[in-house]
Amino acid sequence: MEIREEKVNDVEVLKLEGRLDASSAKDVKEKVALLTKENRVKLVIDMGGIDFIDSSGLGSLVSSLRSVNKLGGDIKVSALQDQVRAIFELTRLHRIFGIYDDSDAAAMSF
Amino acid sequence: MGIRSVKFTIDSNLENIPLIGMSVNKLCSSVSFSNIDAFNIELCVVEAITNSIKHACCEESVHEITVVFTLTQEDVTLDICDTGACPMNPEKLDKAVIKPPEINLLDIEGIAESGRGLGIMKEIMDSVIYRSEAGENCLTLIKKLPVK
Repeated sequence: MEIREEKVNDVEVLKLEGRLDASSAKDVKEKVALLTKENRVKLVIDMGGIDFIDSSGLGSLVSSLRSVNKLGGDIKVSALQDQVRAIFELTRLHRIFGIYDDSDAAAMSF
Repeated sequence: MGIRSVKFTIDSNLENIPLIGMSVNKLCSSVSFSNIDAFNIELCVVEAITNSIKHACCEESVHEITVVFTLTQEDVTLDICDTGACPMNPEKLDKAVIKPPEINLLDIEGIAESGRGLGIMKEIMDSVIYRSEAGENCLTLIKKLPVK
């Protein structure tokens, strides 16, 4: 999985591409840990390039949300492909993440 | 059409899982499953293999994991087997929540990071059966073919 980093005003946008699964989940956690160390805790995770996610991938997002929440931040999720959105809904996690059509809309929501 | 099957074998390394996941997805798409169903069945196989590697095999890459995909006129059966030394307690499967509980937005810390895999499998598949005997741990996933 690839992670590209962009910035929209004071919001960090992480654009993910590939599969977010047990072997790549740690990459997301590590990236978010680096940002939280610098108190950069307004995050958008753009999932437009993610064509597969499993429970480990979902767990990495939950873990990341917890860590930014502790510092008063939040994570918004954008551009979910249909099958990925269905797994968010199956596990009810769409209720804890703000979900937006694209990363600009997600960044503007902060 | 009679019974047809194919067997995949990988070392117990997390990075090998997509090889089987994507193959199962393609096989399911080539029969009568929708793209969403094929994705969901891939997800269940990935969850099952991940559990085998992380728990039964203690993340040691020295074990072998086999996945047998069997197609009949009624259903698809996937047998995911490992020889890891730490078999799952069958009660874990019985207790896995089929419908995850409602989430309390005021208690983000209370939302679990892990433990969703078995519940996802029970929700998506028509049958999930576990057995551990003679040093082999197997999870069997069954999904009925869509009605034409």
